[in-house]
Amino acid sequence: MSVSLEHVGIRFRGGVEVLRDASLEIGHGEFVAIVGPSGCGKSTLLNAIADLLDPAECEVTGRIVVDGAEPKRRSRRDVNLGYVFQRDALLPWQTIAQNVEVGLVIRGVADHERGERSRALIEMAGLSGFERYYPHQVSGGMRQRAALVRTLAYDPQTILMDEPFGALDAQNRMVLQSELLRIWQITPRTILFVTHDLAEAIVLAQRVVVLSRRPGEVKAIFDIALPYPRDAFALRGSEEFGRLETTIWQSLRDEFRAPLASGAG
Amino acid sequence: MSRGWSLALRRTALIAAIFAVWELVTGGFGLGIVLTSPAILARPSSSLAELGPYASSGLLWRDLSTTLTEAMVGLVFGIVGGAALGLLLGYWRQGSELLEPILVSLNSLPRIAVAPILLPWLGLGIASKIALSFFTVFFVIFFNTYLGIRSVDPELVKVVQVMGGGRVHLARFVVLPSVFSWIFAALRTSVSFALTGAVVGEFVGASAGLGYRLSIAAGLLDTKRVYLILLILMIFAVTLVEIAKRVEGRLLRWRPSATLAA
Repeated sequence: MSVSLEHVGIRFRGGVEVLRDASLEIGHGEFVAIVGPSGCGKSTLLNAIADLLDPAECEVTGRIVVDGAEPKRRSRRDVNLGYVFQRDALLPWQTIAQNVEVGLVIRGVADHERGERSRALIEMAGLSGFERYYPHQVSGGMRQRAALVRTLAYDPQTILMDEPFGALDAQNRMVLQSELLRIWQITPRTILFVTHDLAEAIVLAQRVVVLSRRPGEVKAIFDIALPYPRDAFALRGSEEFGRLETTIWQSLRDEFRAPLASGAG
Repeated sequence: MSRGWSLALRRTALIAAIFAVWELVTGGFGLGIVLTSPAILARPSSSLAELGPYASSGLLWRDLSTTLTEAMVGLVFGIVGGAALGLLLGYWRQGSELLEPILVSLNSLPRIAVAPILLPWLGLGIASKIALSFFTVFFVIFFNTYLGIRSVDPELVKVVQVMGGGRVHLARFVVLPSVFSWIFAALRTSVSFALTGAVVGEFVGASAGLGYRLSIAAGLLDTKRVYLILLILMIFAVTLVEIAKRVEGRLLRWRPSATLAA
């Protein structure tokens, strides 16, 4: 198993229970999407997996295992995790090329190898010619692409994605979904993709996990038996897609009916 | 004609008009209209005529270089000292809690009020002015550095942590660049603060400098000389601030230009 969650619960010190008894097994190279209403603990769960939660602020119970070990017990470098945030979170004072290379610098990769790898990735992301631009000088779509290849650069085996395309317009979002699918098929890695967009979850993932409203529990898991390579555009019109969307929506819908939970997803 | 040129022309015309009216009501243009005594409102042309003797006596250069030296040395020490303490306290929480009331109290003190105590300590020479200049700049830079550390984007910290970066990487990729951007953004304010510190210090007691010459002229009711020195100070300050602006724009070129114009 690449990521394994056993009865994971997360509670903030103030008393708010965000996640309750979540268990999930994600295999190597598997693409899993998590959907659920705002505040159901999707993002908090990713932060827990990445060991980014402040123990002074919240308490995590149960067991989280990434690549055979609990993240807390090992150095982050060994866990080899990637994380793509909703905001691109590029370093604004570094150029696109420098941003792509940050993870390689941290891992002490030699100069020439670093240059080669970042050139290849920048080309793959369609960012050639923009290496020396600063993030504010390129479009939102380009920034998110740079953030994606920055994560791929140091070759993490597991990538957590927290609504990475949420801030983009509909067209750009579909383009980036296609690119993510293409990249994932070239170099399969475990991807845990949080989104509030059900169609996006179906288009991308092999399995869709539905979380209930807060405190989030794993309500249902759906297999998406659509063959790869998938066409992010054409798929949306297909009959099978419609059927899946209806089925999963019926499960998800109840969670939106209840009084709206406050707080971030 | 481009918009920029037309604006520059209109601005020049406005300034010229103000001086023309001023010259007119102070007995200029041979019309003999004098609204008030020259001790209260001096004629611009007679002020400007003071420049010749001031420059030829060599005093102008001496005053300029004295004030510039005081301001610049105070500025450099203020930036280095303020940044150093800001970084130290930004990382060392107990220290910042301990020193906070002292720093806040010192900062609330009007800088000018400190000038008299600096004189007996450091004398009439440039040291007391450098100290005052330092004192004004130090706190601006210190508070900006300190806030810079405290307001580091937590998401950028997470990015570096997830990649396996430790404290050194966090400092290199996130904390220091973020802090430097706050320091550079305070550069312009600091330059004019440094100059204020130097001039006020000279006012209180000195043997050279633009502020010293200004206080002498004011004491003698030599209004035309006062105006001349004020004009020189203005040109001097505008030049320094303009240089600071260029440096800032260069160092913060990664920023959207909108924030630079603000």
